[in-house]
Amino acid sequence: MREKELRLVVTFHTTADAMAMEKACRTMEIPGRLIPVPRSISAGCGLAWCAPLTAEEDIRAVMEARGIGPEGLYECMVRM
Amino acid sequence: MNLSDSKKKLALAGIICGLVAACLAYFGNPANMAFCIACFIRDTAGALGLHSTETVQYARPEIMGLVLGAFIISVATKEYRSTAGSSPMIRFVLGMILTIGALVFLGCPLRMVIRMSAGDLNAWVALVGFILGVGTGGIALKKGFSLGRAHETSRMNGYVLPVLMAGILVLALATTLLKSSESGPGSMHAPILLSLIGGLIFGAAAQRSRMCFGGSVRNVIMMRNFDLLTVIGALFVVMLIFNIATGRFTVGFDTPGVIAHSEHLWNILGMYAVGFAAVLAGGCPLRQLILAGQGSSDSAVTVLGMFAGAALAHNFGLAASATALNAETQEVVAGSVPVQGKAAVIICIAVCFLIAFLNTKNEEK
Repeated sequence: MREKELRLVVTFHTTADAMAMEKACRTMEIPGRLIPVPRSISAGCGLAWCAPLTAEEDIRAVMEARGIGPEGLYECMVRM
Repeated sequence: MNLSDSKKKLALAGIICGLVAACLAYFGNPANMAFCIACFIRDTAGALGLHSTETVQYARPEIMGLVLGAFIISVATKEYRSTAGSSPMIRFVLGMILTIGALVFLGCPLRMVIRMSAGDLNAWVALVGFILGVGTGGIALKKGFSLGRAHETSRMNGYVLPVLMAGILVLALATTLLKSSESGPGSMHAPILLSLIGGLIFGAAAQRSRMCFGGSVRNVIMMRNFDLLTVIGALFVVMLIFNIATGRFTVGFDTPGVIAHSEHLWNILGMYAVGFAAVLAGGCPLRQLILAGQGSSDSAVTVLGMFAGAALAHNFGLAASATALNAETQEVVAGSVPVQGKAAVIICIAVCFLIAFLNTKNEEK
């Protein structure tokens, strides 16, 4: 069983924003991956970006640079 | 109780839904149609007089139960959010495609899994189409497809569909206004109260677990995440055990009496359209009812589209016919997809591509 770890989870208004985020982070070599939005955050079924807590600054910067508006930023336990 | 914070709890949600489906099949719902969103919406559309095929008219309490179950549980857990404004008319069209594709295959993704658990090989063939459809939708998502964001609206806006569903239920229980089949699949049903309770439980469990057939395959393809697939797997296992235990498990293609046909290409293409449209609309037919129950007016519009698509499928003779036994000659008469049904599926797939292409954001921002 994979352990759960405290991670930074970014949710978006649209799936397209989540995809744009993935593309931007890959280009900028910012660590993280797409995950389904954790149930503890939302009853919806969209995609979220999951990253180490240490990457928050880089993530905020890349979102601002690319004009990606987050729905919310959360710290929550995610199975790795 | 949170039904989604571990795979065991997700499996429990699937077991609960499987038990509901098995129970309804045992108490009278048609063979291998224990719980089908497309078929039940089609029956309910017939009961409301939206189409005139006399064998498929019955206000299925399961549909009302699903919406009301999701509504009640989301209000109780404070997850109810009234939202709207994400390309409603495109969603209406996607709703139509969901039911037209499903009625060419003869079942929604939920029924596809139920048919698979009964040994119906046609459903396994259709699964290929469904996975390819979801995969195509996934490519569209990767390319930046979006129907735009939804916004918070007045709470009342989200109440409309649950209230309409409650209204249909009242009409079914207290009046003779609604049409009701005297023969055919529409005449076969579990007792009303049992169907309603089953729908409420299924709806609540599906809301808590975020059960979605399109979403589960999408998550596997795009993120190698198997959480939602756990729910479907558990439902499949429960129905498999039920079918074997009650002698309903028959492996084969041309099996009369199980409401299926063996036109493989059209089983594949019908479910391809459903899988593709489900990803574009953000959920399978079941998920649309659940999202509508928890306040999404965009999903409510998709549900209305599903009613319109079901009515169209029968008014224009698009729906497939099932393999049956001729009562006089005792010969097996193969079910088939009418020419206009084949044309409709091709148009539906073309429309999905058009919607995907025309709603793709330019990523160079």
